[in-house]
Order: sequence, then C-alpha cells, then structure tokens
Amino acid sequence: MKLSSNKNTTKQIEQTDTRAMSGTIDRRNFLKIMGWGGVGTALSGCDLPSTVTLEEGKEEVMSYLMPEEYVIPGVGVWYASVCAQCSAACGTHGRVREGRVLKLEGNPESPINNGNLCMMGQAGVQGHYNPDRIKSPMMREGGKLMPVSWEKAMSTIKEKIAAARGDQVAWFTGALSGHQFALVANYLEALGSKNHYAHETINNSVWQSVCKDTLGEANPRLRLDKAQMVVSFGADFLGTWVSPVHFSGEYVKFRKQARRGLLVQIEPKMSLTGANADLWLPSLPGTEGVIALGIANSLVKNHNKDISQFPSGIQDLINKYDAAAVTKMTGVDEKQLKRIAELLNERSPSLVLAGAPVEGHANGYNAVAAVMLLNQLLGNIGNTIESAGVFPFEQMQGTVAGTSSLFSFTQAAKNNKLAVAFFHGANPKYTAPTALDFDKALNNVPFKVALAQFLDETTMAADVVLPLASYLEDWGTHVAAYQPEQSVIGLQQPLMEKLYADTRGLGDILMDLLKTVNANEYGGFADYYAYLRQAHAAMPMQNSNNGTDQQAWNASLQKGVIKVTSNAEQLTFNAVSFDDPVVASSDAGTSTLYLAPSARLGLWDGRHANLPWLQEAPDQISKLVWDSWAEIHPSTAAKLGIKQGSIVSVKSEHGAVNVKAVLLKSIHPDVIAIPMGQGHEFYGRYAEGRGANPLKILNPTKEEKTGELAMYATRVSVSKTNQSEVVVKMGSSDTQVGRRLVVTMPVEQYQRSEGA
Amino acid sequence: MAVNKQNKKSFGRIGALKHNWNIKLALLSILVALAVYPFVVISSDASIDDVIPPVGTHVGEDVPQPIEFPHDIHVKVNKINCMYCHTYARRSKVAGIPPTSKCMGCHKVIATDKPRIKELTEYWENKSSPPWKKVHDVPDFVHFTHERHIKRFVTDRDFPVENVKEICAFCHGEVENMTVAHKVKPLNMGFCVRCHEDNGGPADCWTCHK
Repeated sequence: MKLSSNKNTTKQIEQTDTRAMSGTIDRRNFLKIMGWGGVGTALSGCDLPSTVTLEEGKEEVMSYLMPEEYVIPGVGVWYASVCAQCSAACGTHGRVREGRVLKLEGNPESPINNGNLCMMGQAGVQGHYNPDRIKSPMMREGGKLMPVSWEKAMSTIKEKIAAARGDQVAWFTGALSGHQFALVANYLEALGSKNHYAHETINNSVWQSVCKDTLGEANPRLRLDKAQMVVSFGADFLGTWVSPVHFSGEYVKFRKQARRGLLVQIEPKMSLTGANADLWLPSLPGTEGVIALGIANSLVKNHNKDISQFPSGIQDLINKYDAAAVTKMTGVDEKQLKRIAELLNERSPSLVLAGAPVEGHANGYNAVAAVMLLNQLLGNIGNTIESAGVFPFEQMQGTVAGTSSLFSFTQAAKNNKLAVAFFHGANPKYTAPTALDFDKALNNVPFKVALAQFLDETTMAADVVLPLASYLEDWGTHVAAYQPEQSVIGLQQPLMEKLYADTRGLGDILMDLLKTVNANEYGGFADYYAYLRQAHAAMPMQNSNNGTDQQAWNASLQKGVIKVTSNAEQLTFNAVSFDDPVVASSDAGTSTLYLAPSARLGLWDGRHANLPWLQEAPDQISKLVWDSWAEIHPSTAAKLGIKQGSIVSVKSEHGAVNVKAVLLKSIHPDVIAIPMGQGHEFYGRYAEGRGANPLKILNPTKEEKTGELAMYATRVSVSKTNQSEVVVKMGSSDTQVGRRLVVTMPVEQYQRSEGA
Repeated sequence: MAVNKQNKKSFGRIGALKHNWNIKLALLSILVALAVYPFVVISSDASIDDVIPPVGTHVGEDVPQPIEFPHDIHVKVNKINCMYCHTYARRSKVAGIPPTSKCMGCHKVIATDKPRIKELTEYWENKSSPPWKKVHDVPDFVHFTHERHIKRFVTDRDFPVENVKEICAFCHGEVENMTVAHKVKPLNMGFCVRCHEDNGGPADCWTCHK
C-alpha cells in the first residue's frame, strides 16, 4: 500500500482523504479528523506518515572516512571558547556534534559569567550559520563589489599600503583586546601610524574616565554582592551595562543577603534593571547629577556625613542643591530624596552607579563625578568599590572604545589625513549621526577595507571586502575591560571547521599584513595559531604547573580561561573638581521632548539585528518584537493626540524618523525613547528595511571633557501622522482586566493592616 | 522492572484510547500474526516472548545507493553482527553508517575483484566516503535513540547479542534478506506509541519531543 501515490481520485471527499493520507495533512484536515472521531481517531492520525518521515533517500548520510577515537556520531562534545557578541568577553562552552556547533552555554571556569550566558551569547550560532554571510573576498569594480580571489584582494591592499604614507593608515574597530589588539597595534606601529579608532556605541567611557581621575583606575571592581543598597542612575547593569551577565550573577547575591539588598533606579526610561528595582524614579535627562547632589546635601545635613573632605568648590555645589532646590529643578519629590538619603545612610556599605543617560550630555562628566562623590561620602570606596589591580599584559588590554572615535575619525578623514582605512567589528556608517557627516568623511578616504562577516552599511561602502570567519571558527584571546574578582584572559578556539573555505580569521589576515611590514618578527609564523601557541608558551601563568608545552596548551584550551595575577592596590579618592552638572535650559522652541536612544539586551547597537532569535525576543519592557517604536508617556501622548500604534514623526534639528507610538508609564513624561538596533539599509534579509535608527537624528553634541557623543542631549518635536499600525507584542493586555491574577495593595494599606 | 510498572500505570490515564483501538487491533492481528510469524520461528531459542514487537508495515521506496551494498551477503551468508558495522547503536542515538575505513578493513583482501568492491576502493583511495542515501529517518522534532532501545531490549534482558538482528528487525525489518536497506516499517508516532504501550515504554511527550 503506497500511500503517497494514489492519484486516481476524482471525488471531493476522496481527494481530501488522499491528501490527509499522503502526509500533507494540513491543520484544517487535522481539526476535521479531531472533530469527527474524537481523540481516538486523532491519535490514529499518528499513523499517518508525516511528510518528513516519507522522505526516503532524499538526504545523504556521510560516514566518516576514518573515525576519530573519541567521536561518536550523535553524542555531543563540549569545547570551551569565548563569546564575541558584546565586549564583556564571557567564557562559553559549545556543544559540537558530528563536527558542527549546535549550542552555546556559559563556561563555569570563567569568573566573568560563571557558567551563565545571555540571549545574545546563545544566539551566536545564528550569526555563524546565517545565510547572509560573505563567502568570498570582494572588490569594487565599476562601482560594484565583485568577487575576487584572496591573492588579488591582499595584493591590492598591500599595494595601497605601500603607496600611502604610514601615518595615513587607520584601523577603525570595535572594542578589540587580546593578541588581536596587540597585532593591530604592532601593525600600525610598524607603519608609523597612531590611528587606531575604537568605537562602541554602548559604552561606559565617561564612567571609566571619572573612575580613572578620582580613583586612579578606570575599571574598579564593583561589589554588588557586598552592597546593602544600590542606587543606579541609569546604569542598566542587568541588561546593557559593562558586563551584564556578570552583574546579573552578582545581583542574585545582592538580593540573597541576610538582609535583602535594596535597589533604587533613577533614569529617564525604564530599563531591565529599572524593572527589577524596589523604587524606580523617572528623571529628566540631564538632571541626574543634580539629584545626586541633592542626595549628598541631605546626607550631609541630616546624617552628619563629612563634607569637609571635599574641596570648597564641591562643598559649595553640595550646599547649593538642598532638597527644595532639587525638587524645583528636577521634579523629584523632596520626600523621596530624603528617604533615599536616609536609606543610604542606614544601609552601609552601598553602591552608587551612573550609566548612559547620565553620561550622555555635554556635561556628562560632571554628572558622573557628582554620582561618584556619593560613593566617597558614603564610604563605599575601598569597600564596595575595590581596586582591580594592574593587568600585567598592558599590550593585550585594548583601548577604551567609545564614541569619541567617531568625531576624531571624521575629522581626520575630512582633513584628508587618511589614505587607507581598515574596518572591523564596528559599523560607523550606521551608528554615526547624520549631522556628523560621516558618509562624506568616508568618501574622503580613498581606499577602504572592510573585514566583515556581513554586508552592513560600512562594508557596502568599502573598496575591498575581506570575508571573516565567524568567532566560532577562529582563534583569539580576549581581555575584558571589566575584570571581576579574578583577572583572566579568555582563550577563543574554533568550535568547528570553517563553513566557507574562502573566509579567514582576523588573526590570520593581520599576520599576513604584518609579514609584509615586519618580516623579521612575524615571518617565522605559519599562521595566527602558531603565533598564539608561541605567545601562550611565553606566558608565565599557563594552566599547568609542570609538563610539556603541549600539555599546558591543552589545559588552557580545556579551561577556556587563563587566570592572571593582578595585584590589587588600595584605592584612594581624589576629589576632582567639576562644574555645576545642571543642564542649561535652552529655548528648545517646539522641540519639547528629550530623545532617549535606548539600548536593549538583544539587538544591542544594531549589530544583532540580523539574528532572528533576537528580533523575535520581545523587548524587556515594551514586549514588542521585530520592530522599531517610540515609547511615550500616556499623559504626553494624550496632549499630542497620539494613540497606541499611531505613526509619529520624531523630528530633531538633524532629521526625522517615523515610528509607531507605544504608550507606557515607565518613562518620564518629557522623554520619548526609541530603541537602537533597527533601520538597517544593508545587513542581510532579517535586518534590512525594518524600523528606524534613532542614532541618525542625534545632535552631534560632544561631552565636553571626554569628547564622547552626548547621546541623551537631543531635543525633538513629535507630531502624529494620519497613519497607525497594529502594535505587535507579547501579551495583548498590559492590565489584569480585573482578574486579580496578581494581588497588590498600597504600601500604606499594607502597613496599616499588617502592622509593618 | 519497577520503572516499567510505573510507566504501565501512567498509561491508565489514557486507557480510553486503548478501548477505541480494539477493533483496529483485531483487524491488524492477522497482519501481526503474518508479520511476526517468521520471528517466532527463528527466535524460539532466543526468547523474545516477553516482548511484543511493534506492529505495522510500510511499503518503502526503492532507494538506489551509490554502491548497492548487499546486506544479505554480510548478514545471512557471512553471519556478521549488525553492531559490528553499526557500532554506535549501543552508544549513541544514531546507529551510524560504518566509516569507510571499516569496510576497507576486510575488503583490502576480501573480494577485491568484485566490481562493487572496486568502486568502494576507488572512494577510499580518493579519501572520500560513498554518499549514502538516508533510508530510515524520523523528523527533527523526534528524538529517537538507538542506545536506549538496545539497552531495554538487549542489555537489560540479557538477550544474546549474537541475535541482536531480531531486535533490530522490530523497526528495520529483515535486513538480512535485503541488499540495500528498504524501509518496511512505518516509523510514525502510532507505530512508536503502540509499542511503548505494549512494552511499558515512557509515555511522556517530552521523552521524544524535546
């Protein structure tokens, strides 16, 4: 009885039956069968061969030629490596079966993530197996990128390098560290260039700068686990700040202390951390520094904290912002301020943090310094803020990656100072605001090389495109800027053979380039692997006490991390003088709202927009998927006549984006938030033509002290258009529709009835 | 056995289904008798009486293979055990196609003049494996494991390993009478679930669908 080949049916009913029997049973027919015959008949549907089981002889099954001894088909083996989805450098374990990597998890050996991995890390396999990977080198011919051989691409690059002056060569990268960073640095040094631009849109450069100036260390250890209370000014440490997986683990310890840690979050738009807070306060962008000073004022006045340790300028600032003044300027309730100060005084040690909304203003440095001041006032320095010590391999540490590189690169390119630019791990053509004129600057660079896995905006503008192996196919070492209790070097090893033979790793390309400029030092290495092996052998702290080099190397590969001793020092606080952090209120005309280009764990700065898992994962607060939107407070929306799903035009001095409005109470009424990540012109089938990019309409304002882009300093006007769209999100309703699924009662009532 | 009892118990909850199947089972019993008959005769000395083999037939397509591998010669004539070549069956979810090196282990010296062996040798010398076509497959959402079934029907029952082909035949038919493999059992959910019910296999959805 061959079920699938019964073709001589004419009657309708027979056709239905045949279709059901031939394995193409569709949902409607399945439901019909369910309806007619009840459950019993439905289970007999299990006897229908599915289309997949009927596939006999359609797939090939390749046997091994010679089996490796430890390989059993169907049984996965886990290998250690490093995640490259953001710059936190978490350790990973990848399950490999039949030579393919199938699943990524956290590596318990890594003190950064302690065996955990976030969704971006988990989605790494989708970047690796992405159908839009670049599979061969390309060169611009007649205005279009055409496939060429590696020999042709590399010889062209080397010709251009030879023709250019050394100091006209630049590398524009993301946060790069480890030996890859050392090789880029050595390459530029050999050419006599200092042009390494490290760019990350989601960064904490201003925080690092303040820490460096006040504590002497850019990345001191933050001991959430020891803090009784955390006050975070917009630092989304559970989602996007510095090392989110690490802090999520520490946050659990913070909450599980004998006395449960208390979290207060003050920010313009609720972040994932804000959603977890005991108290969430919406702040007007640019007033966070003033709120911090207000708390300091209350601590000094009401709780006898020592103000005399600060220089007189700072004393004046603290005295200036008493609770009444702060309330008037920021709208934050006087009682709330005093209550926070009271709790901070009572719960010691505590920890006060500042994130992107505080940093992102012309005087962001001052605001962060005001926050840091609180830590000193509360005695947190040396307590919950500890020295991370000096990392012993300075040349592997990488530079601070931020947004000031956008300005400096644009300037250099405009002044015709650059002849050849390499791009890796950053997409500045997408992340640079339109007003920066980055596109024009890019056109001014005569020869651009992109080392990339995908054709993104920057890669599409390149003259030569070198296809990169994915991070699951490549060698590398990684040193996180933020190092927890134990400093480590993450060792990245390929988890499988390259999917596309014509792709190459970053290290191998760098070795090739270095051989032409410094044959003495690099000529002897066959490839990057050989270089890493030698570098590992030279390390004093390998993962083996005794034994051969091979044993030590194997031990390092097995662990995935190399533990490094960095001697912690005593932290001392040097009060840096800073100016009044208040934002000068300029006449903004009709641009009444502040634009918050919000970051989310998921699409990040847009680099993960081509991963369907992260597109379909709902935003942590608004629950939307696959889209761009503008979060707006219901009261503001009512004033502007905007409803849920209205398409609104968000207009700054430098352009406008159209997005659908989402009404949420978790935002300051004077703020409109558009998440970063969408609005790609080029980035493969999953990312292209979806949503809008809020970075494009930002004012090119600089943070004055650090030169970073002031990301929260743009004022916008919002107007509705005539269109509206359905808001697609998880969970249709934001309320319980009167069903009392989660019962709540006001604190006052609880205190009355429960006597707490 | 304690585990099996537990599982039997859990079937009680869907006892109603069993009832509906009675007519079907009766109709099928003739088929069953016909299908099982050869086993009963062959296995009289290897005791599979305590096992109720799965019921169902399927008329598979002819799947031409790169080399027409004669299972019959290997199994019936030369009496080679299934698990000699499909060595991963007891260790992994897949039984595994034997690596080419295993074929060449014998065929470097045996039957080297035969055209099929010449073809095989050519693959070997080109350092490649024949691109075999998959005959027995289940959808990706079904996690079937050979290892567990070999444990249940062979190891746990002290079933003589030399007769393992009788167990393999539950789902693969009498491969000893085939050249290249031919799918003769439906390997669909009904086929699996009935056997699980009859032999006390797990009934939780997520045992197979995970």
